[in-house]
Amino acid sequence: MMSALTHEHIRDLEHTAKNIRRTILEIIFRAKSSHIGCSLSAADILTALYFNVMKIDPRHPQKDDRDRLVMSKGHAVSGLYAALAERGFFPQEKLKEYGTEGTNLASHVVRGSVPGTETSNGSGGHGLSLGVGIALALRNKKNNTRVFVLSGDGELQEGSVWEALLSGATHVLDNLTLIVDRNRFQDGQDGNGTDQILALEPLDKKFEAFGWETETIDGHSFIELIPALMRHSKRPRVIIANTIKAKGVPFMEGRPEWHGKCPDEDQYNLALKELAH
Amino acid sequence: MRFESINTLYEAALRDERIVFITGDFGHPRTEDFKKNLGGRYMNAGMSEQHIIGMAAGLALEGMKVFVYSIVPFITLRCFEQIKVDVCYHNTDVTIIGAGGGFAYGAAGGTHYAIEDIAALRALPRMKVIVPSSPWETRMLMPQIIAAGGPTYLRIGRGKEIDFGENEAPTLGRSQVLRKGSDATIFFAGPIGKEALDAAEILKQCDLDVEVISMHTIKPIDRDAIALRAGNRRAIFTLEEHSVLGGLGSAVAEILAELPEHPVFLRFGVQDTWPVLFGSQTYLRNAMGISAMHVAEKIKKVLL
Repeated sequence: MMSALTHEHIRDLEHTAKNIRRTILEIIFRAKSSHIGCSLSAADILTALYFNVMKIDPRHPQKDDRDRLVMSKGHAVSGLYAALAERGFFPQEKLKEYGTEGTNLASHVVRGSVPGTETSNGSGGHGLSLGVGIALALRNKKNNTRVFVLSGDGELQEGSVWEALLSGATHVLDNLTLIVDRNRFQDGQDGNGTDQILALEPLDKKFEAFGWETETIDGHSFIELIPALMRHSKRPRVIIANTIKAKGVPFMEGRPEWHGKCPDEDQYNLALKELAH
Repeated sequence: MRFESINTLYEAALRDERIVFITGDFGHPRTEDFKKNLGGRYMNAGMSEQHIIGMAAGLALEGMKVFVYSIVPFITLRCFEQIKVDVCYHNTDVTIIGAGGGFAYGAAGGTHYAIEDIAALRALPRMKVIVPSSPWETRMLMPQIIAAGGPTYLRIGRGKEIDFGENEAPTLGRSQVLRKGSDATIFFAGPIGKEALDAAEILKQCDLDVEVISMHTIKPIDRDAIALRAGNRRAIFTLEEHSVLGGLGSAVAEILAELPEHPVFLRFGVQDTWPVLFGSQTYLRNAMGISAMHVAEKIKKVLL
Protein backbone atom coordinates (compact mmCIF):
# COMPACT_ATOMS: atom_id res chain seq x y z
CA MET A 1 0.00 0.00 0.00
CA MET A 2 0.92 3.65 0.23
CA SER A 3 1.98 3.58 -3.42
CA ALA A 4 0.97 6.26 -5.91
CA LEU A 5 -2.77 6.59 -6.23
CA THR A 6 -3.99 5.14 -9.48
CA HIS A 7 -7.55 5.08 -10.74
CA GLU A 8 -7.54 1.41 -9.92
CA HIS A 9 -6.56 2.09 -6.31
CA ILE A 10 -9.32 4.63 -5.98
CA ARG A 11 -11.84 2.18 -7.46
CA ASP A 12 -10.69 -0.45 -4.97
CA LEU A 13 -11.07 1.95 -2.08
CA GLU A 14 -14.53 2.99 -3.23
CA HIS A 15 -15.48 -0.66 -3.50
CA THR A 16 -14.19 -1.31 0.03
CA ALA A 17 -16.01 1.74 1.39
CA LYS A 18 -19.23 0.45 -0.09
CA ASN A 19 -18.70 -2.92 1.62
CA ILE A 20 -18.11 -1.11 4.90
CA ARG A 21 -21.26 0.96 4.42
CA ARG A 22 -23.29 -2.19 3.74
CA THR A 23 -21.91 -3.81 6.87
CA ILE A 24 -22.76 -0.71 8.91
CA LEU A 25 -26.29 -0.84 7.62
CA GLU A 26 -26.62 -4.60 8.22
CA ILE A 27 -25.35 -4.63 11.78
CA ILE A 28 -27.34 -1.58 12.83
CA PHE A 29 -30.52 -2.95 11.26
CA ARG A 30 -30.04 -6.36 12.81
CA ALA A 31 -29.24 -4.91 16.23
CA LYS A 32 -32.08 -2.35 16.03
CA SER A 33 -29.35 0.05 16.98
CA SER A 34 -28.62 3.65 15.96
CA HIS A 35 -25.87 6.10 14.94
CA ILE A 36 -26.13 5.17 11.28
CA GLY A 37 -25.59 8.70 9.93
CA CYS A 38 -22.32 9.38 11.73
CA SER A 39 -20.96 5.91 10.90
CA LEU A 40 -21.74 6.36 7.20
CA SER A 41 -20.21 9.86 7.17
CA ALA A 42 -16.96 8.44 8.56
CA ALA A 43 -16.85 5.39 6.27
CA ASP A 44 -14.51 6.89 3.66
CA ILE A 45 -12.16 8.28 6.32
CA LEU A 46 -11.98 4.86 7.98
CA THR A 47 -11.44 3.19 4.61
CA ALA A 48 -8.58 5.56 3.75
CA LEU A 49 -6.96 4.96 7.16
CA TYR A 50 -7.26 1.18 7.31
CA PHE A 51 -6.78 0.38 3.61
CA ASN A 52 -4.10 2.84 2.63
CA VAL A 53 -2.64 5.22 5.19
CA MET A 54 -2.12 3.46 8.49
CA LYS A 55 0.79 1.15 9.10
CA ILE A 56 -1.02 -1.84 10.61
CA ASP A 57 -0.92 -5.61 10.56
CA PRO A 58 -4.27 -7.28 11.30
CA ARG A 59 -2.43 -10.49 12.24
CA HIS A 60 -0.43 -8.60 14.88
CA PRO A 61 -2.84 -5.97 16.16
CA GLN A 62 -0.64 -5.16 19.19
CA LYS A 63 2.60 -4.74 17.29
CA ASP A 64 4.56 -1.90 18.80
CA ASP A 65 5.27 -0.12 15.53
CA ARG A 66 1.63 0.09 14.41
CA ASP A 67 -0.08 3.39 13.79
CA ARG A 68 -2.82 4.04 16.33
CA LEU A 69 -6.37 5.24 15.78
CA VAL A 70 -8.22 6.75 18.73
CA MET A 71 -11.90 6.56 17.84
CA SER A 72 -13.00 9.64 19.73
CA LYS A 73 -16.38 9.51 18.04
CA GLY A 74 -17.01 6.20 19.79
CA HIS A 75 -20.69 6.28 18.89
CA ALA A 76 -19.74 5.57 15.26
CA VAL A 77 -18.42 2.21 16.39
CA SER A 78 -20.37 0.27 13.75
CA GLY A 79 -18.15 2.01 11.19
CA LEU A 80 -15.04 0.99 13.09
CA TYR A 81 -16.22 -2.62 13.56
CA ALA A 82 -17.07 -2.82 9.85
CA ALA A 83 -13.67 -1.42 8.81
CA LEU A 84 -11.71 -3.69 11.18
CA ALA A 85 -13.60 -6.79 10.03
CA GLU A 86 -13.19 -5.81 6.37
CA ARG A 87 -9.46 -5.39 6.96
CA GLY A 88 -9.25 -8.83 8.56
CA PHE A 89 -8.70 -7.98 12.23
CA PHE A 90 -11.44 -10.49 13.06
CA PRO A 91 -13.96 -12.56 11.09
CA GLN A 92 -17.06 -10.83 9.69
CA GLU A 93 -19.01 -13.57 11.48
CA LYS A 94 -18.20 -11.87 14.79
CA LEU A 95 -20.32 -8.89 13.79
CA LYS A 96 -23.48 -10.98 14.04
CA GLU A 97 -23.11 -10.66 17.80
CA TYR A 98 -23.60 -6.91 17.65
CA GLY A 99 -26.73 -6.00 19.59
CA THR A 100 -27.14 -9.43 21.21
CA GLU A 101 -27.25 -10.07 24.96
CA GLY A 102 -23.86 -10.74 26.51
CA THR A 103 -21.83 -9.54 23.52
CA ASN A 104 -18.51 -7.79 23.95
CA LEU A 105 -19.43 -5.54 21.03
CA ALA A 106 -20.91 -2.51 22.74
CA SER A 107 -22.51 0.27 20.75
CA HIS A 108 -19.62 2.51 21.76
CA VAL A 109 -16.03 1.46 21.26
CA VAL A 110 -14.35 -0.51 24.08
CA ARG A 111 -10.58 -1.01 24.11
CA GLY A 112 -9.61 -4.60 23.40
CA SER A 113 -13.19 -5.82 22.86
CA VAL A 114 -12.10 -6.93 19.40
CA PRO A 115 -8.59 -6.75 17.94
CA GLY A 116 -7.74 -3.29 16.67
CA THR A 117 -9.70 -1.21 19.18
CA GLU A 118 -7.17 1.04 20.90
CA THR A 119 -9.29 3.03 23.37
CA SER A 120 -12.73 3.16 24.96
CA ASN A 121 -14.78 6.12 23.82
CA GLY A 122 -18.38 7.15 23.89
CA SER A 123 -18.30 10.28 26.00
CA GLY A 124 -17.41 13.11 23.64
CA GLY A 125 -14.18 15.08 23.84
CA HIS A 126 -11.96 12.42 25.43
CA GLY A 127 -10.10 11.16 22.38
CA LEU A 128 -7.73 14.00 21.67
CA SER A 129 -6.25 14.02 25.19
CA LEU A 130 -5.74 10.26 24.99
CA GLY A 131 -4.12 10.84 21.62
CA VAL A 132 -1.80 13.50 23.03
CA GLY A 133 -0.69 11.09 25.78
CA ILE A 134 -0.16 8.23 23.33
CA ALA A 135 1.76 10.48 20.93
CA LEU A 136 3.95 11.79 23.75
CA ALA A 137 4.74 8.27 24.97
CA LEU A 138 5.59 7.08 21.46
CA ARG A 139 7.85 10.06 20.90
CA ASN A 140 9.59 9.46 24.23
CA LYS A 141 10.11 5.82 23.25
CA LYS A 142 11.46 6.99 19.87
CA ASN A 143 8.72 4.90 18.30
CA ASN A 144 8.33 6.45 14.89
CA THR A 145 4.64 5.70 14.40
CA ARG A 146 1.67 7.99 13.97
CA VAL A 147 -1.42 8.64 16.05
CA PHE A 148 -4.73 9.52 14.43
CA VAL A 149 -7.72 10.76 16.40
CA LEU A 150 -11.07 10.62 14.64
CA SER A 151 -13.46 13.11 16.17
CA GLY A 152 -17.00 14.14 15.42
CA ASP A 153 -17.69 17.84 15.01
CA GLY A 154 -20.31 17.92 17.75
CA GLU A 155 -17.83 16.79 20.37
CA LEU A 156 -15.65 19.82 19.59
CA GLN A 157 -18.11 21.63 21.85
CA GLU A 158 -16.39 19.97 24.82
CA GLY A 159 -13.83 22.23 26.51
CA SER A 160 -11.44 19.33 27.06
CA VAL A 161 -10.80 19.23 23.28
CA TRP A 162 -9.46 22.77 23.37
CA GLU A 163 -7.25 21.98 26.37
CA ALA A 164 -5.81 19.12 24.35
CA LEU A 165 -5.30 21.38 21.32
CA LEU A 166 -3.26 23.75 23.51
CA SER A 167 -1.23 20.79 24.72
CA GLY A 168 -0.62 19.27 21.28
CA ALA A 169 0.79 22.57 20.05
CA THR A 170 2.85 23.13 23.23
CA HIS A 171 4.50 19.75 22.82
CA VAL A 172 4.80 20.17 19.02
CA LEU A 173 3.37 16.69 18.45
CA ASP A 174 4.25 16.16 14.80
CA ASN A 175 3.18 12.50 15.10
CA LEU A 176 -0.44 13.42 15.92
CA THR A 177 -3.25 14.06 13.42
CA LEU A 178 -6.78 15.03 14.39
CA ILE A 179 -9.43 14.22 11.80
CA VAL A 180 -12.74 16.00 12.21
CA ASP A 181 -15.68 14.24 10.59
CA ARG A 182 -17.43 17.50 9.78
CA ASN A 183 -20.92 16.22 9.00
CA ARG A 184 -22.49 19.29 10.63
CA PHE A 185 -25.00 17.37 12.71
CA GLN A 186 -25.01 15.96 16.21
CA ASP A 187 -27.93 14.43 18.13
CA GLY A 188 -29.92 17.63 17.54
CA GLN A 189 -33.36 16.13 18.05
CA ASP A 190 -34.80 19.62 17.69
CA GLY A 191 -33.58 19.55 14.08
CA ASN A 192 -30.75 21.99 14.70
CA GLY A 193 -27.36 21.37 13.14
CA THR A 194 -24.11 21.60 15.07
CA ASP A 195 -23.40 25.22 14.20
CA GLN A 196 -26.91 26.29 15.16
CA ILE A 197 -26.53 24.58 18.54
CA LEU A 198 -23.06 25.90 19.40
CA ALA A 199 -21.28 27.52 16.50
CA LEU A 200 -17.87 26.16 15.55
CA GLU A 201 -17.13 28.34 12.52
CA PRO A 202 -14.69 29.63 11.55
CA LEU A 203 -13.31 26.24 12.55
CA ASP A 204 -10.16 26.20 10.42
CA LYS A 205 -9.11 29.58 11.78
CA LYS A 206 -9.64 28.35 15.34
CA PHE A 207 -7.39 25.34 14.80
CA GLU A 208 -4.77 27.49 13.07
CA ALA A 209 -4.90 30.00 15.93
CA PHE A 210 -4.26 27.09 18.33
CA GLY A 211 -1.06 26.29 16.42
CA TRP A 212 -2.17 23.26 14.44
CA GLU A 213 -1.53 22.91 10.73
CA THR A 214 -5.02 22.79 9.30
CA GLU A 215 -6.31 21.43 6.04
CA THR A 216 -9.91 21.32 4.88
CA ILE A 217 -10.86 18.60 2.43
CA ASP A 218 -13.75 16.64 0.97
CA GLY A 219 -14.05 13.73 3.39
CA HIS A 220 -15.60 11.52 0.74
CA SER A 221 -12.89 11.95 -1.88
CA PHE A 222 -9.97 9.53 -1.66
CA ILE A 223 -7.98 11.79 -3.96
CA GLU A 224 -8.15 14.40 -1.22
CA LEU A 225 -8.25 12.14 1.86
CA ILE A 226 -5.16 10.10 1.20
CA PRO A 227 -2.59 12.82 0.51
CA ALA A 228 -4.00 14.83 3.42
CA LEU A 229 -3.69 11.87 5.78
CA MET A 230 -0.22 10.95 4.51
CA ARG A 231 1.18 14.44 4.81
CA HIS A 232 3.74 15.06 7.56
CA SER A 233 4.43 18.37 9.16
CA LYS A 234 6.60 19.78 11.91
CA ARG A 235 3.42 20.63 13.81
CA PRO A 236 0.40 18.58 14.84
CA ARG A 237 -2.17 18.47 12.07
CA VAL A 238 -5.93 18.82 11.82
CA ILE A 239 -7.85 17.60 8.83
CA ILE A 240 -11.33 19.03 8.63
CA ALA A 241 -13.04 16.40 6.50
CA ASN A 242 -16.25 17.90 5.16
CA THR A 243 -18.70 15.04 5.04
CA ILE A 244 -22.38 14.36 4.55
CA LYS A 245 -24.25 12.70 7.35
CA ALA A 246 -25.38 9.22 6.22
CA LYS A 247 -23.35 9.54 3.00
CA GLY A 248 -24.08 6.77 0.51
CA VAL A 249 -27.79 6.34 1.18
CA PRO A 250 -29.45 9.26 -0.64
CA PHE A 251 -32.74 9.27 1.26
CA MET A 252 -30.86 9.48 4.58
CA GLU A 253 -28.15 11.94 3.50
CA GLY A 254 -27.95 15.16 5.47
CA ARG A 255 -31.06 14.37 7.47
CA PRO A 256 -30.47 14.79 11.20
CA GLU A 257 -32.96 12.12 12.29
CA TRP A 258 -30.56 9.41 11.04
CA HIS A 259 -28.29 10.14 13.98
CA GLY A 260 -30.57 8.26 16.30
CA LYS A 261 -33.00 6.35 14.10
CA CYS A 262 -32.89 2.72 13.01
CA PRO A 263 -34.23 1.92 9.54
CA ASP A 264 -37.36 -0.23 9.21
CA GLU A 265 -37.32 -3.19 6.83
CA ASP A 266 -38.43 -1.24 3.74
CA GLN A 267 -35.90 1.50 4.41
CA TYR A 268 -33.21 -1.10 5.01
CA ASN A 269 -33.86 -2.88 1.74
CA LEU A 270 -33.97 0.40 -0.14
CA ALA A 271 -30.68 1.47 1.46
CA LEU A 272 -29.01 -1.84 0.55
CA LYS A 273 -30.08 -1.29 -3.06
CA GLU A 274 -28.41 2.12 -3.01
CA LEU A 275 -25.21 0.49 -1.81
CA ALA A 276 -25.17 -2.37 -4.32
CA HIS A 277 -21.98 -2.69 -6.35
CA MET B 1 3.22 14.91 53.08
CA ARG B 2 3.83 16.77 49.81
CA PHE B 3 7.55 16.45 50.39
CA GLU B 4 7.41 12.77 51.34
CA SER B 5 5.20 11.71 48.43
CA ILE B 6 6.99 13.73 45.77
CA ASN B 7 10.45 12.98 47.11
CA THR B 8 9.83 9.24 47.08
CA LEU B 9 8.34 9.53 43.63
CA TYR B 10 11.37 11.42 42.38
CA GLU B 11 13.76 8.80 43.74
CA ALA B 12 11.66 6.05 42.13
CA ALA B 13 11.55 7.92 38.81
CA LEU B 14 15.34 8.00 38.69
CA ARG B 15 15.34 4.20 38.75
CA ASP B 16 12.17 3.46 36.77
CA GLU B 17 12.04 4.97 33.30
CA ARG B 18 8.33 4.33 33.01
CA ILE B 19 7.47 6.92 35.65
CA VAL B 20 6.00 10.19 34.38
CA PHE B 21 5.07 13.08 36.66
CA ILE B 22 2.53 15.70 35.56
CA THR B 23 1.67 18.69 37.72
CA GLY B 24 -1.31 20.91 37.07
CA ASP B 25 0.84 23.95 37.76
CA PHE B 26 1.05 23.12 41.45
CA GLY B 27 4.36 23.55 43.18
CA HIS B 28 6.40 20.92 44.96
CA PRO B 29 9.79 20.62 46.60
CA ARG B 30 11.70 18.80 43.87
CA THR B 31 10.75 20.91 40.86
CA GLU B 32 14.30 21.68 39.79
CA ASP B 33 15.40 18.04 40.15
CA PHE B 34 12.48 16.78 38.07
CA LYS B 35 13.15 19.38 35.39
CA LYS B 36 16.85 18.70 35.31
CA ASN B 37 16.92 14.93 35.49
CA LEU B 38 13.67 13.55 34.09
CA GLY B 39 13.46 15.36 30.75
CA GLY B 40 10.18 14.63 29.01
CA ARG B 41 8.95 12.56 31.96
CA TYR B 42 8.22 15.73 33.91
CA MET B 43 5.49 18.07 32.71
CA ASN B 44 3.73 21.11 34.04
CA ALA B 45 0.51 20.82 32.04
CA GLY B 46 -1.09 23.94 33.45
CA MET B 47 -4.69 24.41 34.46
CA SER B 48 -6.11 21.77 32.12
CA GLU B 49 -7.15 19.02 34.46
CA GLN B 50 -9.56 17.24 32.10
CA HIS B 51 -6.80 17.10 29.55
CA ILE B 52 -4.20 16.07 32.14
CA ILE B 53 -6.18 12.98 33.09
CA GLY B 54 -6.79 12.00 29.46
CA MET B 55 -3.15 12.58 28.55
CA ALA B 56 -2.03 10.59 31.60
CA ALA B 57 -4.23 7.69 30.52
CA GLY B 58 -2.85 7.90 26.98
CA LEU B 59 0.71 7.75 28.31
CA ALA B 60 -0.22 4.80 30.52
CA LEU B 61 -1.79 2.94 27.59
CA GLU B 62 1.70 3.00 26.08
CA GLY B 63 3.27 1.49 29.18
CA MET B 64 4.13 4.52 31.31
CA LYS B 65 3.39 4.76 35.07
CA VAL B 66 1.83 8.17 35.42
CA PHE B 67 1.43 10.37 38.50
CA VAL B 68 -0.66 13.51 38.26
CA TYR B 69 -0.59 16.13 40.95
CA SER B 70 -2.58 19.19 41.95
CA ILE B 71 -4.90 20.54 44.63
CA VAL B 72 -7.67 18.04 45.40
CA PRO B 73 -10.77 19.76 43.96
CA PHE B 74 -9.12 20.51 40.65
CA ILE B 75 -7.52 17.13 40.02
CA THR B 76 -10.51 15.07 41.19
CA LEU B 77 -13.95 16.60 40.75
CA ARG B 78 -13.09 19.03 37.94
CA CYS B 79 -12.10 16.07 35.79
CA PHE B 80 -14.19 13.36 37.41
CA GLU B 81 -15.58 11.91 34.21
CA GLN B 82 -12.10 11.67 32.70
CA ILE B 83 -11.04 9.75 35.82
CA LYS B 84 -14.03 7.45 35.42
CA VAL B 85 -13.55 6.75 31.71
CA ASP B 86 -9.89 7.33 30.88
CA VAL B 87 -8.41 5.96 34.11
CA CYS B 88 -10.85 3.51 35.67
CA TYR B 89 -12.70 2.14 32.64
CA HIS B 90 -9.42 1.79 30.72
CA ASN B 91 -7.74 0.43 33.86
CA THR B 92 -4.68 2.61 33.30
CA ASP B 93 -1.68 2.93 35.60
CA VAL B 94 -2.46 6.46 36.71
CA THR B 95 -2.11 7.70 40.28
CA ILE B 96 -3.80 10.94 41.23
CA ILE B 97 -2.04 12.79 44.03
CA GLY B 98 -4.41 15.33 45.50
CA ALA B 99 -2.93 17.84 47.93
CA GLY B 100 -4.88 19.75 50.53
CA GLY B 101 -7.31 17.13 51.85
CA GLY B 102 -10.18 18.37 54.00
CA PHE B 103 -9.76 21.93 55.26
CA ALA B 104 -6.00 22.17 54.69
CA TYR B 105 -6.70 25.34 52.67
CA GLY B 106 -8.81 26.69 55.50
CA ALA B 107 -8.77 30.41 54.79
CA ALA B 108 -9.00 29.88 51.03
CA GLY B 109 -12.71 29.10 51.22
CA GLY B 110 -14.99 26.45 49.81
CA THR B 111 -13.51 26.32 46.30
CA HIS B 112 -10.37 24.81 47.81
CA TYR B 113 -11.91 22.45 50.35
CA ALA B 114 -11.88 18.73 49.76
CA ILE B 115 -14.76 17.20 51.68
CA GLU B 116 -16.49 15.12 49.00
CA ASP B 117 -13.55 13.76 47.01
CA ILE B 118 -13.33 10.41 48.81
CA ALA B 119 -17.04 9.77 48.34
CA ALA B 120 -16.77 10.48 44.64
CA LEU B 121 -13.62 8.54 43.87
CA ARG B 122 -14.50 5.60 46.11
CA ALA B 123 -17.52 4.93 43.90
CA LEU B 124 -15.39 4.29 40.81
CA PRO B 125 -14.73 0.61 40.05
CA ARG B 126 -10.99 -0.27 40.14
CA MET B 127 -10.03 2.92 41.99
CA LYS B 128 -7.96 2.52 45.15
CA VAL B 129 -8.28 5.32 47.71
CA ILE B 130 -5.35 6.02 50.02
CA VAL B 131 -5.39 8.68 52.74
CA PRO B 132 -2.20 8.68 54.83
CA SER B 133 -2.27 10.47 58.15
CA SER B 134 1.23 11.85 58.53
CA PRO B 135 4.47 12.56 56.72
CA TRP B 136 5.88 9.38 58.22
CA GLU B 137 2.97 7.23 57.07
CA THR B 138 3.18 8.79 53.60
CA ARG B 139 6.88 7.99 53.38
CA MET B 140 6.20 4.40 54.46
CA LEU B 141 3.30 3.84 52.07
CA MET B 142 4.61 5.63 49.02
CA PRO B 143 6.86 2.81 47.70
CA GLN B 144 3.92 0.41 48.08
CA ILE B 145 1.63 2.80 46.22
CA ILE B 146 4.15 3.15 43.39
CA ALA B 147 4.59 -0.63 43.19
CA ALA B 148 0.85 -1.37 43.28
CA GLY B 149 0.16 1.04 40.41
CA GLY B 150 -3.04 2.76 39.42
CA PRO B 151 -5.87 3.48 39.21
CA THR B 152 -5.12 5.08 42.58
CA TYR B 153 -6.21 8.21 44.38
CA LEU B 154 -3.72 9.40 47.00
CA ARG B 155 -5.06 12.19 49.17
CA ILE B 156 -2.40 14.07 51.08
CA GLY B 157 -2.21 17.25 53.12
CA ARG B 158 -0.91 20.65 52.25
CA GLY B 159 2.57 20.33 53.70
CA LYS B 160 2.18 21.48 57.28
CA GLU B 161 1.28 18.09 58.74
CA ILE B 162 3.12 16.67 61.71
CA ASP B 163 4.22 13.18 62.56
CA PHE B 164 2.29 11.27 65.20
CA GLY B 165 1.72 7.70 66.16
CA GLU B 166 4.81 6.24 64.49
CA ASN B 167 4.60 2.53 64.86
CA GLU B 168 5.56 -0.50 62.90
CA ALA B 169 5.61 0.12 59.15
CA PRO B 170 2.13 0.34 57.63
CA THR B 171 0.96 -2.01 54.88
CA LEU B 172 -1.22 -0.88 52.01
CA GLY B 173 -4.71 -2.31 52.39
CA ARG B 174 -4.31 -3.05 56.10
CA SER B 175 -5.38 -0.78 58.92
CA GLN B 176 -2.80 0.39 61.43
CA VAL B 177 -3.36 0.50 65.20
CA LEU B 178 -1.80 3.72 66.51
CA ARG B 179 -3.06 3.40 70.07
CA LYS B 180 -4.32 0.34 71.83
CA GLY B 181 -7.60 0.30 73.74
CA SER B 182 -10.42 -2.08 74.56
CA ASP B 183 -13.60 -0.06 75.27
CA ALA B 184 -14.13 1.52 71.88
CA THR B 185 -12.39 2.09 68.57
CA ILE B 186 -11.97 5.24 66.51
CA PHE B 187 -11.22 4.54 62.86
CA PHE B 188 -9.83 7.65 61.19
CA ALA B 189 -8.21 8.62 57.89
CA GLY B 190 -5.81 11.47 57.26
CA PRO B 191 -4.04 14.09 59.38
CA ILE B 192 -7.22 14.47 61.47
CA GLY B 193 -5.89 11.37 63.24
CA LYS B 194 -4.00 13.66 65.59
CA GLU B 195 -7.41 14.80 66.88
CA ALA B 196 -8.42 11.16 67.39
CA LEU B 197 -5.29 10.47 69.45
CA ASP B 198 -5.85 13.63 71.50
CA ALA B 199 -9.47 12.61 72.05
CA ALA B 200 -8.33 9.19 73.29
CA GLU B 201 -5.99 10.94 75.73
CA ILE B 202 -8.83 13.09 77.07
CA LEU B 203 -11.05 10.02 77.44
CA LYS B 204 -8.35 8.21 79.38
CA GLN B 205 -8.94 10.71 82.17
CA CYS B 206 -12.48 9.29 82.44
CA ASP B 207 -11.10 5.73 82.52
CA LEU B 208 -12.18 5.09 78.97
CA ASP B 209 -9.73 2.96 77.05
CA VAL B 210 -10.08 3.95 73.39
CA GLU B 211 -8.28 2.35 70.49
CA VAL B 212 -7.21 4.55 67.56
CA ILE B 213 -6.75 3.05 64.09
CA SER B 214 -5.47 4.65 60.90
CA MET B 215 -7.52 3.53 57.89
CA HIS B 216 -5.00 4.91 55.43
CA THR B 217 -6.44 2.58 52.81
CA ILE B 218 -10.10 3.46 52.50
CA LYS B 219 -10.52 1.30 49.41
CA PRO B 220 -10.09 -1.63 49.40
CA ILE B 221 -11.05 -1.36 53.06
CA ASP B 222 -9.72 -3.62 55.80
CA ARG B 223 -12.98 -5.45 56.41
CA ASP B 224 -11.53 -7.91 58.90
CA ALA B 225 -10.28 -5.16 61.21
CA ILE B 226 -13.77 -3.66 61.33
CA ALA B 227 -15.55 -6.99 61.81
CA LEU B 228 -13.17 -7.91 64.63
CA ARG B 229 -13.98 -4.71 66.57
CA ALA B 230 -17.69 -5.16 65.92
CA GLY B 231 -17.49 -8.28 68.06
CA ASN B 232 -15.53 -6.97 71.02
CA ARG B 233 -16.04 -3.19 71.45
CA ARG B 234 -18.77 -1.24 73.21
CA ALA B 235 -18.78 1.35 70.44
CA ILE B 236 -17.19 2.11 67.09
CA PHE B 237 -16.52 5.61 65.78
CA THR B 238 -15.15 7.09 62.58
CA LEU B 239 -13.40 10.43 62.26
CA GLU B 240 -12.54 12.11 58.97
CA GLU B 241 -12.00 15.54 57.48
CA HIS B 242 -14.66 14.85 54.87
CA SER B 243 -18.42 14.78 54.57
CA VAL B 244 -20.14 12.08 56.61
CA LEU B 245 -21.76 11.13 53.31
CA GLY B 246 -19.74 8.64 51.34
CA GLY B 247 -16.33 8.76 52.98
CA LEU B 248 -14.64 6.60 55.61
CA GLY B 249 -17.70 6.76 57.89
CA SER B 250 -19.88 5.38 55.14
CA ALA B 251 -17.32 2.73 54.19
CA VAL B 252 -17.18 1.47 57.80
CA ALA B 253 -20.97 1.70 58.13
CA GLU B 254 -21.39 -0.44 55.02
CA ILE B 255 -19.35 -3.22 56.65
CA LEU B 256 -21.03 -2.93 60.04
CA ALA B 257 -24.56 -2.82 58.64
CA GLU B 258 -24.08 -6.15 56.91
CA LEU B 259 -22.83 -7.94 60.02
CA PRO B 260 -25.40 -9.92 62.09
CA GLU B 261 -24.84 -7.48 64.94
CA HIS B 262 -22.64 -4.57 65.78
CA PRO B 263 -22.16 -2.14 68.67
CA VAL B 264 -23.17 1.52 68.79
CA PHE B 265 -21.74 3.36 65.80
CA LEU B 266 -21.21 7.08 65.23
CA ARG B 267 -19.57 9.03 62.42
CA PHE B 268 -17.58 12.19 63.05
CA GLY B 269 -17.14 14.27 59.92
CA VAL B 270 -18.49 17.29 58.15
CA GLN B 271 -22.27 17.27 58.26
CA ASP B 272 -24.05 17.99 55.02
CA THR B 273 -23.17 21.67 55.13
CA TRP B 274 -20.75 24.39 53.96
CA PRO B 275 -18.69 26.42 56.40
CA VAL B 276 -19.74 30.06 56.15
CA LEU B 277 -16.96 31.52 58.29
CA PHE B 278 -13.33 30.98 57.39
CA GLY B 279 -10.07 30.48 59.21
CA SER B 280 -7.26 28.00 59.73
CA GLN B 281 -7.65 24.22 59.46
CA THR B 282 -7.79 24.11 63.28
CA TYR B 283 -10.52 26.77 63.31
CA LEU B 284 -12.58 24.86 60.77
CA ARG B 285 -12.19 21.52 62.54
CA ASN B 286 -13.57 23.23 65.64
CA ALA B 287 -16.36 24.90 63.71
CA MET B 288 -17.37 21.60 62.11
CA GLY B 289 -17.29 19.65 65.38
CA ILE B 290 -14.43 17.32 64.46
CA SER B 291 -11.75 18.51 66.88
CA ALA B 292 -10.44 16.32 69.72
CA MET B 293 -12.57 18.14 72.28
CA HIS B 294 -15.82 17.68 70.33
CA VAL B 295 -15.06 14.05 69.59
CA ALA B 296 -14.17 13.29 73.23
CA GLU B 297 -17.32 14.99 74.55
CA LYS B 298 -19.62 13.02 72.24
CA ILE B 299 -17.87 9.73 72.94
CA LYS B 300 -18.27 10.34 76.67
CA LYS B 301 -22.03 10.75 76.16
CA VAL B 302 -22.15 7.44 74.32
CA LEU B 303 -19.99 5.43 76.71
CA LEU B 304 -20.66 6.90 80.14
